[in-house]
Amino acid sequence: MKHPVPLTIVGIVLLLAAAGSFYSVDETEQVVITQFGRPVGAPIREAGLHFKIPFIQTVNRFNKNILEWDGDPSQIPTLDKTFIWVDIFARWRIVDPLQFFLKVNNEAVAQAQLDAILNAATRNLIQAHHLIEAVRNSNRAMEIVAGPIREEAVPYVTTVTYGREKLTRMILENAQPKLQELGIQLVDVRIKRIMYIQDVQKKVFERMIAERNQIAEKYRSEGKGESQKIEGKMQRELKTIRAEAYRRSQEIQGKADAEAARIYAEAYGRDPEFYSFVKTLDLYKNLPEKEIEIVLGTESDLFKYLKQTNP
Amino acid sequence: MSSDFRRGPWGKDPRPPEIDQFMRAAQDRIRRTFGGRRFPAGWALVLIAVALWLATGIYQVNQDEVGVVQRFGKYSRTVKPGLNWKLPSGIEKVTKVGIQRIYQEEFGMRTLRAGVRTEYAPERQYEHESLMLTGDLNCALVPWVVRFRIGDPIRFLFRVRNVRDTLRHLSEATMRQVVGDHSLDEVLNKREIIADLAQKELQAALDQTESGLVITTIELGRTNVPEPVQPSFNEVNAAIQEKEKLIYEAQGSYNRVIPEARGQAEKVIQEAEGYAVDRVKSAEGDVARFLALYEEYVKAKEVTRRRLYLETMQSMLPRLGRKFVIDPDQKSVLPLLDLGKKGEQK
Repeated sequence: MKHPVPLTIVGIVLLLAAAGSFYSVDETEQVVITQFGRPVGAPIREAGLHFKIPFIQTVNRFNKNILEWDGDPSQIPTLDKTFIWVDIFARWRIVDPLQFFLKVNNEAVAQAQLDAILNAATRNLIQAHHLIEAVRNSNRAMEIVAGPIREEAVPYVTTVTYGREKLTRMILENAQPKLQELGIQLVDVRIKRIMYIQDVQKKVFERMIAERNQIAEKYRSEGKGESQKIEGKMQRELKTIRAEAYRRSQEIQGKADAEAARIYAEAYGRDPEFYSFVKTLDLYKNLPEKEIEIVLGTESDLFKYLKQTNP
Repeated sequence: MSSDFRRGPWGKDPRPPEIDQFMRAAQDRIRRTFGGRRFPAGWALVLIAVALWLATGIYQVNQDEVGVVQRFGKYSRTVKPGLNWKLPSGIEKVTKVGIQRIYQEEFGMRTLRAGVRTEYAPERQYEHESLMLTGDLNCALVPWVVRFRIGDPIRFLFRVRNVRDTLRHLSEATMRQVVGDHSLDEVLNKREIIADLAQKELQAALDQTESGLVITTIELGRTNVPEPVQPSFNEVNAAIQEKEKLIYEAQGSYNRVIPEARGQAEKVIQEAEGYAVDRVKSAEGDVARFLALYEEYVKAKEVTRRRLYLETMQSMLPRLGRKFVIDPDQKSVLPLLDLGKKGEQK
């Protein structure tokens, strides 16, 4: 160990050079190599171990995977003048790291650029369309219990020309050209949330309440109607039953009366004089007792003998 | 360590003599290996550092995980559960991904503590997540849970940054898109259909992103209308109850009245039948009696006639009140009729 100090220094320098000339690239990264701040060579997009000139060249890493952008909710009027909050988000990736390095440099700047471009595109497209275009995606027939009540607060265009998916694609197509030159590609843009602003929301709630009250009324009157119907049916059946019973009983009794009359007439017809004699005698027998006082002439059949024997 | 178990926690430390011997022998061997040569402390440190560095290559993958190994950042291999070895830190890196586990994300609600009686955070707190527009431009509260697993660990790790946020955003967007195409009534009553559609849409969106996530289920919580509107919805339910009650009542009185009336009608008819039988039979009886008498009468007209007359008088006279026998010559009978009555009044 004659020259321990210089050897150690050489060793350390060599080690540093070796460490500085190798770098690894993750699967989620891509790299732009710069030499004194100027990019050299094509961007490295392949993951793994790579070589560069130590000390002179610098590694600038950028994401290769899909990144998120989350817009601030903003208040926008639709074509039918309804104010809504729209909250969109987008996903994007750096497709040209060289352009991205030159024009944007880091992600914070990129996010700010996306804010500006996407917010403007969203505003333009929402303003140019009816609310329904942002809400619905198709014209599928929906099941609705009660017919909707419409007020001026919520103008109502029921059919969709574009729909939500096409509308967001239009936002994307609108924004993409401006992002192209920054090395950014939009993967997709979607509406995360969409809601009425507070004032409109209140009116919508009122409308919903009115709608439900109407439905409740409908059920109530249906109930009354139904019950009246049953009541009416009951009364009708009741009358029918009673009248039918009356008719039948009268018929039966009438027939019996006729039959009895026929029997009497047939028998008594043989000697009407005798019949009235017997019947009259019957009548006498059945006269009420006591109250009746009787005056009989001496000429009567009963007393004629009495008179005759008298001198 | 097995000796520890046998001794129990209270025994003294009767270190077996073999261990002492073994230790001494080991020390001797070390001394012999490096001989009488000077052994610098620096090299020992380097050796230890190298050993420690190599030890970073040992790792364990749990039963429900896989390990994704990257060499200098580049994907190298996927390893199965168990004890594994990789090139040491700085060269190879392992990320463990729980592919067997089911994860869940909640929207518009939060589980505070899961258990036999799971506690949930008040839903109002998360209304901004669950409040959405329906296809008929009404507002509805739709809370839901997404359950998912990691189907492709490589995509999961490398294709998307911040997979959780991506999932949350996409889930909100697709759920709102599905709800936006359904009426409020459908959202309230057809939760399964909506959950199904949302699952399909979300899976498609996740596949398109190459996020590596697989949705196992989407479950809708209790869909509702915003709180200010709720009383009017309860009102509708009350009205439905009321309607049914009215109908039941009417049906009830129908069922009570009609059978009774039918019974009454039957009674009236039966009475009429009874009357008829009575009428005819008594006519027949009267006639039979008359005819029997008549037959005898025909045989001896005059005698029978007189007999009948006298018999009648005989049975009738005793039962009558006062009787007067008056000569046809007698005029003004009236004063005579009053005779007895005056006496009675006194």
